[in-house]
Amino acid sequence: MMSLTPQEHAFLEKKIGRKPTPVELQIVAAEWSEHCSYKSSKKHLKLLPREGTRIISGPGYDSGVLDVGDGYVITVHIESHNHPSAVEPYGGAATGVGGVIRDILSTGTRPIAILDGLRFGDIEKDPHARWLFKNAVRGIADYGNCLGIPTVGGEIEFDKCFTNYALVGVAAIGFGKKDKLIKNRADKDDFVVLIGGSTGRDGIGGSQFASDKLESENRSAVQIPDPFIEKLVIEAILEARNQHCIKALKDLGGGGLSCAVSEIADVLSVGIEMDVARIHKRESSMSPTELMVSESQERMLVITDRQKLPILKKICEKFRVPYSVIGRIKEDRMMQVKVETNTIANLPNSVIANAPLLDRSSSKPKYLKKIEEIKKPNTPKVLTETLLRMLANPNIASKIWVYSQYDHEVGIRTVVKPGHDASVLRLDNGKFLSVKIDGNSKHCYINPRQGAMGCFEEACRNVVCTGATPIGMVDHLQFGNPEDPEIFWTFKESLEGISELAKYLEIPCVGGKVSFYNETNNGPIKPTPLIGVLGLIVKKPLYPQKVSKNDLLVIVGETKDELGGSEYYEYIHDIIGGNCPTVDMKSSKLNQQIVLDLINQDLVNSAHDCSKGGIGVAISELCITNNVGCVISIDKIPAKKFKPDVILFSETHSRYLLVIDPKNINKTKSILEQSNAPFAIIGKFSGTGIMFRNKAKTIANLSIDKALGKWLNSLELLVTHG
Amino acid sequence: MPSFKVDVIIENKPEISDPEGDTILNDLILKKRDTPVKKVRSAKMLKFEVEAKNQKLAEKIVMELCNEFRIYNPLVSKVSVESFDA
Repeated sequence: MMSLTPQEHAFLEKKIGRKPTPVELQIVAAEWSEHCSYKSSKKHLKLLPREGTRIISGPGYDSGVLDVGDGYVITVHIESHNHPSAVEPYGGAATGVGGVIRDILSTGTRPIAILDGLRFGDIEKDPHARWLFKNAVRGIADYGNCLGIPTVGGEIEFDKCFTNYALVGVAAIGFGKKDKLIKNRADKDDFVVLIGGSTGRDGIGGSQFASDKLESENRSAVQIPDPFIEKLVIEAILEARNQHCIKALKDLGGGGLSCAVSEIADVLSVGIEMDVARIHKRESSMSPTELMVSESQERMLVITDRQKLPILKKICEKFRVPYSVIGRIKEDRMMQVKVETNTIANLPNSVIANAPLLDRSSSKPKYLKKIEEIKKPNTPKVLTETLLRMLANPNIASKIWVYSQYDHEVGIRTVVKPGHDASVLRLDNGKFLSVKIDGNSKHCYINPRQGAMGCFEEACRNVVCTGATPIGMVDHLQFGNPEDPEIFWTFKESLEGISELAKYLEIPCVGGKVSFYNETNNGPIKPTPLIGVLGLIVKKPLYPQKVSKNDLLVIVGETKDELGGSEYYEYIHDIIGGNCPTVDMKSSKLNQQIVLDLINQDLVNSAHDCSKGGIGVAISELCITNNVGCVISIDKIPAKKFKPDVILFSETHSRYLLVIDPKNINKTKSILEQSNAPFAIIGKFSGTGIMFRNKAKTIANLSIDKALGKWLNSLELLVTHG
Repeated sequence: MPSFKVDVIIENKPEISDPEGDTILNDLILKKRDTPVKKVRSAKMLKFEVEAKNQKLAEKIVMELCNEFRIYNPLVSKVSVESFDA
């Protein structure tokens, strides 16, 4: 079924001093898979800064915990379910949501929000990509909606490199009281209880599957979502937490029981003796190995003591959640698996839970040598038609077709809703949490380091636009086969870039995930790091206010000739290459601070960041969503002398658009002047047209109605009518 | 040309679990009641009315449509067709 490499096999035999039994071999293979052990990445992940005044770390936490004051904490985790989603998009995406939610639950906090980052092939031309997209979105919606957890945001990108494949990354946020966090400890003779759905043959070999290239004969690991039982598991666990029935808690994910049991025992420095015959199962004929490595969803592992066990059982019965007491805690730090009285595996936890780490070699990909050398396209004389095409581009067009399927209001916390820069959630202590995830595979392909930093910067910008100060980040690093030195180089570069920026901006990394072996029939995917940023708002968020006539448009930040990987090059001109935007860390920090300062002084009516599609798209979006026109003088935009298409569509980072009431403009100007940040008043809202002018010359002129039609409806038309 | 009613039933394969059916059984049928019901499986049914030369052809037309529109995932779903004279 699963296998170890010859070297790993030898290492295992040497460690335990004998030949492993067949069951032991399977347990170890599950845990030593790339998916569970991080054997390629672990050494490098140490680069990420993990210290911070708000960070609460505990043994065995599967998600990051941040102190938000007044006795409350936020938890956050990000994961993907790419391989399962590529073969069964509905079930794969749905169970992806379920898995991340249980990571949040395992700290003892209630999940309060979901975000998702999706990647598919070219949905304009590829019906299979459309099918994957439609069904993955439906899977996320059905699962989240059934649980009563709002899906508050996310991001989507379509690119040919994802043909016949899908990336489904899910981030979840939890909220709870600090004193109710699970402390994770265990003492001799405590009970190990498996709670939740029954164990079946679904998802057997999933973690190994996720660590292999996706080949057609290998498509058996389909998982079926059951949100109904997940909801009951959430409520049962939270009640058990309230009644102090949980000494330690762990969710079951990749590698099933083998991983959950060995990892928790290793972290708590205890041993576990368990009997597979006691597991409540779906099919009676399952072998011990199948029971140990099954990845059936909606299951949690609880450690409780003799006194609390009857209460825990009562709670499970009240919620009608199946459970089985499968084992006991011992002192010898061994994982002993039995079938009734027969021992079938007996291994030191430290051996199972700590795979031999690898030193992967890396080398700069050959394709990068010439990627920046391109023949620049001719600037179209009139950019109106170009702008309209940009707005209809599936990567830029409104994602309302997607987020309108999600219940983003349930829980009544969502005060700034999807469709804006970042979503904002109301917390019980009077503060607000702003959340956003961002990615950009096109930038990361051209420059893995700067691309990854850019995704991080973009997520920060989005959070800043709601008036929030970034307090933590999560990274989800998705790459192809790490055994290929060129791919491993792109992984290392991305990671180094993210670490560098995190250190500079003093935003600690509170969690993350690495997903390798994302390969399609045409080769590896483009490097796709996703970065989630959490921001805290102490007073009140910047609710985007309706733009009025005569409001002024201010830009903060300099525009550079950085069209490599831009939607303009790739979508309009079919050019892959050029200079990808780079992050100037000093400007990044300065501009974030100055924008926050202006928002906190109540000078800004609305803030919007410039990202995909550049200024041209960002301003159009402001006009469309507010149903008001604008006349913009592009000659005033802080930049060197560039052609109009560069100014309009370059995707330079650290730029913000601010809508300012004329009565506040002088104060705004004086604050900006003192800050030394490049800025300019570039337009005035009025009329019904979006008009870009270069001195006296009009270079693009688009009516709001026309722009709205394209931007709002393109994605839905594409999905529903091909 | 004769007309036929063609019913297409899409359900999870027998070896794949069916949470919807299980939930109906557990939460609606078994809840505090004595019942002879032992199992519930959920399915989706599409009912077509098709003009075709014969019944076999009518089924073929419908199945080709279902395949073309990818209304099910062959990895997960079991699809069966039943047809009758309209």
